Amino acid sequence: MAFPKIIATMAGGFIFPFLLRLVWGKLCDNFGPIGGWLAAGFIVGTTWTLNHGVGLIYQSGDAWIDMAWAGGTGLFVASALSGDDVGKGIGMIINAIIGGVLGGFILYCLYV
Amino acid sequence: MEVTLVKNLGSIIGFAIAGIFVMSVWGAFADTYGIGGGWFAGFIIISVMWFLNHFLGLIANEGAFVDMALGIAITGTMRDVFLKGSAAGVASLPTLAFVVIGGIIGGTVAVAVEKTWAERDASKKDISM
Repeated sequence: MAFPKIIATMAGGFIFPFLLRLVWGKLCDNFGPIGGWLAAGFIVGTTWTLNHGVGLIYQSGDAWIDMAWAGGTGLFVASALSGDDVGKGIGMIINAIIGGVLGGFILYCLYV
Repeated sequence: MEVTLVKNLGSIIGFAIAGIFVMSVWGAFADTYGIGGGWFAGFIIISVMWFLNHFLGLIANEGAFVDMALGIAITGTMRDVFLKGSAAGVASLPTLAFVVIGGIIGGTVAVAVEKTWAERDASKKDISM
Protein backbone atom coordinates (compact mmCIF):
# COMPACT_ATOMS: atom_id res chain seq x y z
CA MET A 1 0.00 0.00 0.00
CA ALA A 2 1.41 3.36 -1.04
CA PHE A 3 1.80 6.04 1.62
CA PRO A 4 -1.00 8.36 0.38
CA LYS A 5 -3.43 5.42 0.39
CA ILE A 6 -2.45 4.64 3.98
CA ILE A 7 -3.17 8.23 5.06
CA ALA A 8 -6.53 8.23 3.21
CA THR A 9 -7.53 4.84 4.65
CA MET A 10 -6.63 5.81 8.22
CA ALA A 11 -8.51 9.10 7.86
CA GLY A 12 -11.59 7.23 6.64
CA GLY A 13 -11.33 4.88 9.60
CA PHE A 14 -10.98 7.83 12.01
CA ILE A 15 -14.02 9.75 10.81
CA PHE A 16 -16.64 7.02 11.14
CA PRO A 17 -16.45 6.12 14.88
CA PHE A 18 -15.67 9.78 15.66
CA LEU A 19 -19.03 10.84 14.21
CA LEU A 20 -20.90 7.83 15.62
CA ARG A 21 -19.66 8.44 19.14
CA LEU A 22 -20.21 12.20 19.18
CA VAL A 23 -23.39 12.64 17.12
CA TRP A 24 -25.63 9.53 17.29
CA GLY A 25 -26.43 9.77 21.02
CA LYS A 26 -27.08 13.52 20.82
CA LEU A 27 -29.51 13.02 17.93
CA CYS A 28 -31.41 10.47 20.03
CA ASP A 29 -31.36 12.82 23.04
CA ASN A 30 -32.94 15.53 20.89
CA PHE A 31 -35.32 13.53 18.70
CA GLY A 32 -35.85 10.19 20.47
CA PRO A 33 -35.70 7.04 18.32
CA ILE A 34 -36.28 9.18 15.21
CA GLY A 35 -32.76 10.46 15.93
CA GLY A 36 -31.61 6.94 15.06
CA TRP A 37 -33.20 7.26 11.62
CA LEU A 38 -31.53 10.63 11.09
CA ALA A 39 -28.22 9.15 12.25
CA ALA A 40 -28.56 6.20 9.88
CA GLY A 41 -28.92 8.55 6.92
CA PHE A 42 -26.72 11.46 7.88
CA ILE A 43 -23.93 9.68 9.76
CA VAL A 44 -23.75 6.21 8.21
CA GLY A 45 -25.17 7.03 4.76
CA THR A 46 -23.17 10.23 4.38
CA THR A 47 -19.94 8.71 5.72
CA TRP A 48 -20.43 5.79 3.31
CA THR A 49 -20.45 8.27 0.41
CA LEU A 50 -17.02 9.43 1.56
CA ASN A 51 -15.41 6.14 2.54
CA HIS A 52 -16.85 3.82 -0.10
CA GLY A 53 -18.84 5.98 -2.54
CA VAL A 54 -15.79 8.03 -3.53
CA GLY A 55 -13.36 5.55 -1.94
CA LEU A 56 -11.37 7.28 0.81
CA ILE A 57 -10.79 3.79 2.24
CA TYR A 58 -8.51 2.03 -0.27
CA GLN A 59 -9.10 -1.71 -0.75
CA SER A 60 -5.71 -3.47 -0.85
CA GLY A 61 -7.22 -6.91 -1.57
CA ASP A 62 -10.35 -8.64 -2.86
CA ALA A 63 -11.93 -9.31 0.56
CA TRP A 64 -14.09 -6.30 1.35
CA ILE A 65 -12.94 -4.18 4.30
CA ASP A 66 -15.92 -2.10 5.30
CA MET A 67 -15.76 1.11 7.33
CA ALA A 68 -17.81 -0.89 9.85
CA TRP A 69 -14.46 -2.39 10.99
CA ALA A 70 -13.50 1.10 12.17
CA GLY A 71 -16.94 1.70 13.66
CA GLY A 72 -16.98 -1.50 15.69
CA THR A 73 -13.42 -1.27 17.01
CA GLY A 74 -13.49 2.50 17.54
CA LEU A 75 -16.73 2.44 19.51
CA PHE A 76 -15.54 -0.47 21.66
CA VAL A 77 -12.30 1.34 22.52
CA ALA A 78 -14.22 4.55 23.24
CA SER A 79 -16.60 2.65 25.52
CA ALA A 80 -13.69 1.02 27.33
CA LEU A 81 -11.91 4.38 27.77
CA SER A 82 -15.02 5.91 29.30
CA GLY A 83 -15.07 3.21 31.96
CA ASP A 84 -17.27 0.38 30.66
CA ASP A 85 -16.36 -3.21 31.59
CA VAL A 86 -14.10 -4.70 28.89
CA GLY A 87 -14.34 -8.23 30.33
CA LYS A 88 -18.14 -8.24 30.00
CA GLY A 89 -17.80 -6.96 26.43
CA ILE A 90 -15.56 -9.85 25.30
CA GLY A 91 -18.48 -12.31 25.26
CA MET A 92 -20.38 -10.02 22.92
CA ILE A 93 -17.33 -9.74 20.63
CA ILE A 94 -17.39 -13.55 20.36
CA ASN A 95 -21.10 -13.34 19.46
CA ALA A 96 -20.25 -10.76 16.79
CA ILE A 97 -17.59 -13.07 15.33
CA ILE A 98 -20.01 -16.03 15.27
CA GLY A 99 -22.79 -13.88 13.78
CA GLY A 100 -20.42 -12.34 11.25
CA VAL A 101 -19.05 -15.68 10.05
CA LEU A 102 -22.62 -17.02 9.86
CA GLY A 103 -23.74 -13.97 7.87
CA GLY A 104 -20.75 -14.28 5.56
CA PHE A 105 -21.47 -17.96 4.97
CA ILE A 106 -25.16 -17.30 4.20
CA LEU A 107 -24.12 -14.67 1.64
CA TYR A 108 -21.62 -17.16 0.18
CA CYS A 109 -24.64 -19.44 -0.35
CA LEU A 110 -26.40 -16.54 -2.11
CA TYR A 111 -23.57 -15.62 -4.47
CA VAL A 112 -21.71 -18.88 -5.10
CA MET B 1 -29.37 -20.28 32.03
CA GLU B 2 -32.05 -20.19 29.38
CA VAL B 3 -32.11 -16.39 29.49
CA THR B 4 -28.34 -16.29 28.88
CA LEU B 5 -28.66 -18.70 25.99
CA VAL B 6 -31.42 -16.68 24.34
CA LYS B 7 -29.49 -13.43 24.92
CA ASN B 8 -26.44 -14.81 23.15
CA LEU B 9 -28.47 -16.46 20.41
CA GLY B 10 -30.46 -13.24 19.88
CA SER B 11 -27.22 -11.26 19.73
CA ILE B 12 -25.71 -13.63 17.16
CA ILE B 13 -28.88 -13.36 15.05
CA GLY B 14 -28.78 -9.56 15.35
CA PHE B 15 -25.16 -9.35 14.16
CA ALA B 16 -25.83 -11.81 11.32
CA ILE B 17 -29.01 -10.13 10.01
CA ALA B 18 -27.41 -6.68 10.02
CA GLY B 19 -24.40 -8.11 8.18
CA ILE B 20 -26.54 -9.94 5.62
CA PHE B 21 -28.57 -6.81 4.78
CA VAL B 22 -25.58 -4.51 4.51
CA MET B 23 -23.36 -6.88 2.54
CA SER B 24 -25.97 -7.71 -0.12
CA VAL B 25 -28.72 -5.09 -0.46
CA TRP B 26 -26.46 -2.06 0.05
CA GLY B 27 -24.23 -2.94 -2.88
CA ALA B 28 -27.26 -3.65 -5.07
CA PHE B 29 -28.62 -0.16 -4.35
CA ALA B 30 -25.24 1.41 -5.06
CA ASP B 31 -24.83 -0.57 -8.30
CA THR B 32 -28.32 0.36 -9.50
CA TYR B 33 -28.53 4.03 -8.42
CA GLY B 34 -24.92 5.04 -7.85
CA ILE B 35 -23.73 7.06 -4.85
CA GLY B 36 -27.28 8.23 -4.06
CA GLY B 37 -28.39 4.62 -3.89
CA GLY B 38 -25.59 3.91 -1.45
CA TRP B 39 -26.64 6.80 0.78
CA PHE B 40 -30.26 5.66 0.66
CA ALA B 41 -29.27 2.07 1.51
CA GLY B 42 -27.58 3.37 4.66
CA PHE B 43 -30.76 5.19 5.60
CA ILE B 44 -33.17 2.27 5.13
CA ILE B 45 -30.92 -0.53 6.42
CA ILE B 46 -28.98 0.98 9.32
CA SER B 47 -32.05 2.74 10.74
CA VAL B 48 -34.17 -0.34 11.32
CA MET B 49 -31.18 -2.55 12.16
CA TRP B 50 -30.09 -0.04 14.84
CA PHE B 51 -33.65 0.09 16.18
CA LEU B 52 -33.78 -3.71 16.44
CA ASN B 53 -30.27 -4.32 17.70
CA HIS B 54 -29.49 -1.35 19.93
CA PHE B 55 -32.70 0.55 20.71
CA LEU B 56 -34.85 -2.52 21.41
CA GLY B 57 -31.74 -4.46 22.43
CA LEU B 58 -31.59 -7.71 20.46
CA ILE B 59 -27.82 -7.38 20.87
CA ALA B 60 -27.71 -7.73 24.66
CA ASN B 61 -24.73 -5.51 25.51
CA GLU B 62 -23.75 -5.48 29.18
CA GLY B 63 -20.13 -4.37 29.39
CA ALA B 64 -18.09 -2.29 26.95
CA PHE B 65 -20.26 -1.54 23.93
CA VAL B 66 -20.06 -3.87 20.93
CA ASP B 67 -21.78 -2.18 17.98
CA MET B 68 -23.58 -4.16 15.28
CA ALA B 69 -20.91 -2.66 13.00
CA LEU B 70 -18.54 -5.40 14.15
CA GLY B 71 -20.91 -8.11 12.88
CA ILE B 72 -21.39 -6.17 9.63
CA ALA B 73 -17.63 -5.81 9.16
CA ILE B 74 -16.94 -9.50 9.74
CA THR B 75 -19.82 -10.54 7.47
CA GLY B 76 -18.45 -8.48 4.58
CA THR B 77 -14.90 -9.77 4.91
CA MET B 78 -15.90 -13.40 5.51
CA ARG B 79 -18.33 -13.33 2.56
CA ASP B 80 -15.39 -12.67 0.27
CA VAL B 81 -13.07 -15.10 2.08
CA PHE B 82 -15.68 -17.85 1.54
CA LEU B 83 -16.20 -16.82 -2.10
CA LYS B 84 -12.62 -16.02 -3.16
CA GLY B 85 -10.44 -17.94 -0.73
CA SER B 86 -8.15 -17.00 2.15
CA ALA B 87 -5.59 -15.40 -0.22
CA ALA B 88 -8.10 -12.62 -0.83
CA GLY B 89 -8.37 -12.13 2.92
CA VAL B 90 -4.59 -11.97 3.33
CA ALA B 91 -4.32 -9.39 0.54
CA SER B 92 -6.88 -7.23 2.39
CA LEU B 93 -5.01 -7.30 5.72
CA PRO B 94 -3.13 -4.00 5.10
CA THR B 95 -6.40 -2.14 4.58
CA LEU B 96 -7.92 -3.88 7.61
CA ALA B 97 -4.97 -2.83 9.78
CA PHE B 98 -5.05 0.84 8.77
CA VAL B 99 -8.85 1.08 8.99
CA VAL B 100 -8.76 -0.35 12.51
CA ILE B 101 -5.88 1.94 13.56
CA GLY B 102 -7.82 4.93 12.23
CA GLY B 103 -10.94 3.72 14.02
CA ILE B 104 -9.19 3.32 17.36
CA ILE B 105 -7.72 6.83 17.09
CA GLY B 106 -11.15 8.18 16.11
CA GLY B 107 -12.88 6.58 19.08
CA THR B 108 -10.14 7.76 21.44
CA VAL B 109 -10.24 11.36 20.22
CA ALA B 110 -14.06 11.35 20.40
CA VAL B 111 -13.91 10.44 24.10
CA ALA B 112 -11.39 13.27 24.68
CA VAL B 113 -13.74 15.71 22.91
CA GLU B 114 -16.67 14.45 24.99
CA LYS B 115 -14.75 15.24 28.17
CA THR B 116 -14.05 18.82 27.07
CA TRP B 117 -17.74 19.22 26.14
CA ALA B 118 -18.80 17.91 29.55
CA GLU B 119 -16.48 20.39 31.29
CA ARG B 120 -17.72 23.24 29.07
CA ASP B 121 -21.37 22.41 29.83
CA ALA B 122 -20.65 22.05 33.55
CA SER B 123 -19.00 25.49 33.66
CA LYS B 124 -21.98 27.01 31.80
CA LYS B 125 -24.30 25.73 34.51
CA ASP B 126 -22.07 27.30 37.18
CA ILE B 127 -22.40 30.70 35.50
CA SER B 128 -26.16 30.46 35.16
CA MET B 129 -26.52 29.57 38.80
